[in-house]
Amino acid sequence: MELASDNLSLPKPFSLIAEVTHRCPLHCLYCSNPLELKKSDAELTAEEWARVFQQAAQIGILHLHLTGGEPLARSDLPALIASGRDAGLYVNLITSGIGINEKLLSELVDAGLEHLQLSFQGEDENTANHIAGARAHALKVAIVPTIKKFPIALTLNLVINRMNIDRLESFIGMAADFAPDRLEIAHVQYYGWALKNRALLMPTMEQVEKSIAIVEAAKQRLKGKIHIDFVLPDYFGKYPKACVGGWGRQMMLIDPVGVALPCHAAAIIPDLTFTNIRDRDLDWIWNSSPAFNRFRGDSWISETCRACPRKAQDFGGCRCQAFQLTGNAESIDPVCVYSPDHATIEILRRPDAESLPIWRS
Amino acid sequence: MNLSAKLRLSPGCRLHPTEPVLLIPEGTLQLSGPARDILFRLDGQRTIANVIDDLLAEYSGAEREAVERDVLDLLGRIQERGLIRSE
Repeated sequence: MELASDNLSLPKPFSLIAEVTHRCPLHCLYCSNPLELKKSDAELTAEEWARVFQQAAQIGILHLHLTGGEPLARSDLPALIASGRDAGLYVNLITSGIGINEKLLSELVDAGLEHLQLSFQGEDENTANHIAGARAHALKVAIVPTIKKFPIALTLNLVINRMNIDRLESFIGMAADFAPDRLEIAHVQYYGWALKNRALLMPTMEQVEKSIAIVEAAKQRLKGKIHIDFVLPDYFGKYPKACVGGWGRQMMLIDPVGVALPCHAAAIIPDLTFTNIRDRDLDWIWNSSPAFNRFRGDSWISETCRACPRKAQDFGGCRCQAFQLTGNAESIDPVCVYSPDHATIEILRRPDAESLPIWRS
Repeated sequence: MNLSAKLRLSPGCRLHPTEPVLLIPEGTLQLSGPARDILFRLDGQRTIANVIDDLLAEYSGAEREAVERDVLDLLGRIQERGLIRSE
């Protein structure tokens, strides 16, 4: 593993996630935004984002993911896309689809949009709207044929949880009928709002196993037509995931007001100071900032992980999850069977029919 | 896939301007050997046979049969992943 002090062997970042706003017409129960949403009056300007995109390309980033909140809430979205392309980045838009129409789409595509990701919360309208906390499903269904007219790649994201998992087969069928280029079938990951709603969203082990078989069959059936990526919930694995490919190894996220983070959840870890792009450039933030170096290498890692051959694969697991569930960001990710806190996961895996939904506000 | 097929990169797929990399939704494909030269020539107009003619002119001394096999193998794998389309 690399030493944090050895700049020559620092990993090169691959993607930039630009949370251009936290405003959103949806209130999804599993939202990956932080519990404390950033206010719109402090959002970065289009000029500031353009500067960030240039710096991102200079440090080797290839992919730009414009997300939110709902990026369409920004009226200058075409300018953001154009400046991403000007910097040489591959531009992806992650959207709820609410507020898109043919005229706006043609502006986005003319500006250089290459890939659009549209999420679905379920197959039947009532369930989907309940999960999204908004009457969004019918609007999403209606906009897909319009998106298909444009020469961009389309990914549909199916977000799986206990409320929709029993209808997964028909959910995939619905999505496949739209003939997207790619399907991302992702179990909810339990951070932020999703962790708050964990008892409501968590499937059973039996449901998870069934979902694996259904997705495998769909992969075979749709081979050569639709590419499928599948994300399992890590609570059901024996070993932790290499979260975002490892801390400060593959990606950088910038929040609406310019704070640069190694992942969606990292701001929850106390005693770390995250730098704002208004104060420093991306090269310094990636290569030299204490926060991005904090969990690189293995000087911080537990004795158990240091002796484990899997450390090169999973880097000791997710730091945010370790903090979230044990109160110590340096501890072993409790998903790991070798973690002394592994029993926590077994308790959290239990569904609870009594719990009430908490929608982000 | 046959030699008269006319192919182009799928929407949302493009070659990096300088690196041997194909940019695709949510990822990249590292291109080795002549893969970039092959994909660069897919314009939806020329057939695979035309592309092979080009390559043979560029890489003199290569055997047509071997080049055909390599090109069809590469394009088959990339098509299975949905990254190229027939016109």
